[in-house]
Amino acid sequence: MKIKLYCLTSALVGIILLSGCWSNQELPDLALVSAIGIDLEKDGRYTFTVQVINPGNVAGEGMQGTGGSESPPVSTYTESGWNLTEINRKLSKKVSRHIYFAHTNLVVISEKLAQEEGIMPVLDVLERDHEFRSSAQIVISHQSDAEDIMKTLSSIDKVPANKIINTMKSTEKVWGEHVSVSVRELIAKLVSPGEAPVVTTFHTIENQGETLQSIQRTNPDGRLEAAGLAIFKKGKMVDMTTGEISKGIVWLLNKVKNTAVSVQWEGEKHAAVFDLIRQQTKVSADVEKGGTVRMKVNVAAEGNVSEVQHPINLASPQALNKMEQRVEETIKQSIMHAVDKAQELETDILGFGEAVHREDPEKWKKWEDEWEESYFPEVQVDVSADVFIRRTGLRDEPFHRYLTK
Amino acid sequence: MPYRLRRLFKSKKQQAPSSADQKEKTPLGTSLKDNLKEFKKRTGNSSDVVIRTLTTGGMQWEAAIVYIDGIVDNTSIDEFLLEPLLQLEVPTTPVLQQDIPDYISEQVIALGGIESVLDWETLFEAVTIGRTILFIDGAAKALSTSTIGGERRAVEEPPTEISIRGPREGFTESIRTNTAMVRRRIKNPNLRVKTMKIGRQTKTNVEIMYLEGIADEKVVEEVRRRLKQMDMGSILDSGYIEELIEDQPSSPFPTIHFTERPDSAAGNILEGRVAVFVDGSPFILHMPAVFIQFFQSVDDYYSRSYIASSLRMLRIMVFLISLYAPATYVAATTFHQEMIPTQLLIVLSAQREAVPFPALIEAFIMEMTFEVLREAGIRMPKAVGQTVSIVGALVIGQAAVQAGIVSPAMVIIVAITAIASFTTPSYSMAIAARLIRFFLMVIAATFGFYGLILSFIMMTAHLCSLRSFGVPYMAPLAPFVPADFHDSIIRLPWWKAKERPRLISGQNNVRQGDDLKPEAPGTQSIRKQRKNTGDLNED
Repeated sequence: MKIKLYCLTSALVGIILLSGCWSNQELPDLALVSAIGIDLEKDGRYTFTVQVINPGNVAGEGMQGTGGSESPPVSTYTESGWNLTEINRKLSKKVSRHIYFAHTNLVVISEKLAQEEGIMPVLDVLERDHEFRSSAQIVISHQSDAEDIMKTLSSIDKVPANKIINTMKSTEKVWGEHVSVSVRELIAKLVSPGEAPVVTTFHTIENQGETLQSIQRTNPDGRLEAAGLAIFKKGKMVDMTTGEISKGIVWLLNKVKNTAVSVQWEGEKHAAVFDLIRQQTKVSADVEKGGTVRMKVNVAAEGNVSEVQHPINLASPQALNKMEQRVEETIKQSIMHAVDKAQELETDILGFGEAVHREDPEKWKKWEDEWEESYFPEVQVDVSADVFIRRTGLRDEPFHRYLTK
Repeated sequence: MPYRLRRLFKSKKQQAPSSADQKEKTPLGTSLKDNLKEFKKRTGNSSDVVIRTLTTGGMQWEAAIVYIDGIVDNTSIDEFLLEPLLQLEVPTTPVLQQDIPDYISEQVIALGGIESVLDWETLFEAVTIGRTILFIDGAAKALSTSTIGGERRAVEEPPTEISIRGPREGFTESIRTNTAMVRRRIKNPNLRVKTMKIGRQTKTNVEIMYLEGIADEKVVEEVRRRLKQMDMGSILDSGYIEELIEDQPSSPFPTIHFTERPDSAAGNILEGRVAVFVDGSPFILHMPAVFIQFFQSVDDYYSRSYIASSLRMLRIMVFLISLYAPATYVAATTFHQEMIPTQLLIVLSAQREAVPFPALIEAFIMEMTFEVLREAGIRMPKAVGQTVSIVGALVIGQAAVQAGIVSPAMVIIVAITAIASFTTPSYSMAIAARLIRFFLMVIAATFGFYGLILSFIMMTAHLCSLRSFGVPYMAPLAPFVPADFHDSIIRLPWWKAKERPRLISGQNNVRQGDDLKPEAPGTQSIRKQRKNTGDLNED
């Protein structure tokens, strides 16, 4: 018994003392990367930019020793090379700490790289690496390098990566022209034959937002701003949509949460505004015997009248019905624009292929390989919308109705 | 059941009966002079020994009373022993020389407990507990009268177990007061008290108390056996007994529960436990103890069951915090930075930036500082107690952070741990957590969460392997006893608690009647009921 106890104790002590603190790393040994940016050089090399958080400057207020805003909240380090792992190792020449990717929430890929080489090659390492999280959001830089996006400071969110992510998520929710996509979702869509991804693009102006002085202005020059939706085809960016078409795409993806729809009334284009509060879009496929595919899109939307600029009698049900129809028209129109655009580009960003797959798996197996080129552009789309006006705000008739009398 | 049996029959080697019992007894002499001489010799002329000689029975019998001053009740000696003796007239019928003691004990002394003493050993046992001895010339027999008394601490509110709603009295150092306080609560002739004298020098009174018919006889027998084979030099507190009779002395977890409250003691006896009272100690032990018992406070039974249940769960959760908070912090900041939310990590990282030590050392510094402060706070005279809190608040709270030795987050962790460790109602359990915490911190710094999980598994396995007088320590959770669950991490209302804990009270499980749940009748039926029946408990 005693010998057993001695053996056990010495073994335990040995394990603890001999192994030491294997693989431990103290917090001050880490360089927390908030975002990474990937650019393509002319000679085909990648340029890799990491945005490293300076914790003292982010959490700085109230801490002694570190001045709150004397130095920027993030620093960027750039290196180029033929593959990302090599670049990451080479970055150690410039960064004094272990570059730690576990808290990287944003990946920015330059438009040039997405258009010329496609995003496939750089995604592998992001998915394979154990530190990197595939839940990180991905955006494309529009008319600027990913490096510029990395370097631009923001004022409210101290860490620019957070600013981009939060902007994207918030605009997706309240305006509905952009979608937030994580690396994992992007890869899932890339490998699915019945679906192609859309990715939000962001824009800034080169060399304008790099200094702390730039964000000390109320209206900074180099602003990070959501631009549009990058449309991908076979892993390459083929086009970028904005405005109505973007919104149509988001409608079809059933990701619109809130938005505002202008209502046309008696010739006046923006007579009233329908403020969407909830909606549900259902996309279903109907494969006919001859082989033609009809997609049925149904939008059920509910919202309020939030603004009226024309003397409309909102107390009357007829007027509201009419208004609901107008909104339905507008929504249908924007969805049809999106469908036309996708069919023109021959890329199934709307996920119709998946709907067909669910509806008729047998046929889908035959069509799978040529879906986007041969079948998708020929798909007939029936859009129906069902809009309901729940409330008209605090009053029924607008006050200018009395003025005109 | 099988757990208990297996454990109990595996009894330890029977020790040889102690030599003190075997000693031959020296009989008293007949001459008063010789007896007093012998008495003086044996007490070494101690100055607190009082010998008063007198003549009684109408100036014809030589006698003497002896006692130790301070532990006797002087009033009863004066009024009920000395006065009748001095006023005793010559008996009407002649009394034989050797019958005088019987005559006096039967007709003269107005005290309750009188025993005849024939030998010196019994005599000294009696005199050292505060009895008064009456020697009579010519008889080889002395009388020992019960005059136990002396200054004792009054019954006060127990300082270590505070309750909001509940009795305010606590045990004292006097064993008789203590047993009386319990007996006053359990008016049942089946409440048994058995006395033992333990300690070669101290001859301490140790009493076990249990309810015959409810307590498991085997446990009672086992407690008695373990107490009997104890051949200690001295017993000064129940802590001595606890250490000598517990099941698993090498475990950091206590397997015997102690209390300072008579209501808690009574409650445990009523559940079928055995209580051990030790003279001179305000803490009584009860056994068998289960893990969950150390998280139950008496207030739980007096407050509403929802509140009591949530508080119990809170205490258990907080106990885990007091064990794991610093270890988790060390593990998360040195191994698992990816598990900390980004914003929090940035804040922590900014704080750690200026700290010169690794997280483990930092945690150790702070925990040690806190332990030192706590210990100082206990040992310090009350008059300077304020100083500790001021120094503590400044050292831990501010100066250490400002000096850049520790990070503010660490201070928060230590503060949470400290406060958490005070919520455990049982001091012996809280102190166990205090010790294990340091071990866990080293494990966390060596193996990270992997080590913490392993240590948690080890600790659970250890807890499940413990037994307290044959009862599994983790009962009623492991083994799961559904019938006992009503009083474990939760406390169901009393009308749900029909049975006593099964593993503890062996034979007699049912404690109360059925259908105790109060149901409010309609107004009309109350009126009727009052007229017809009346109250069940009315006299």
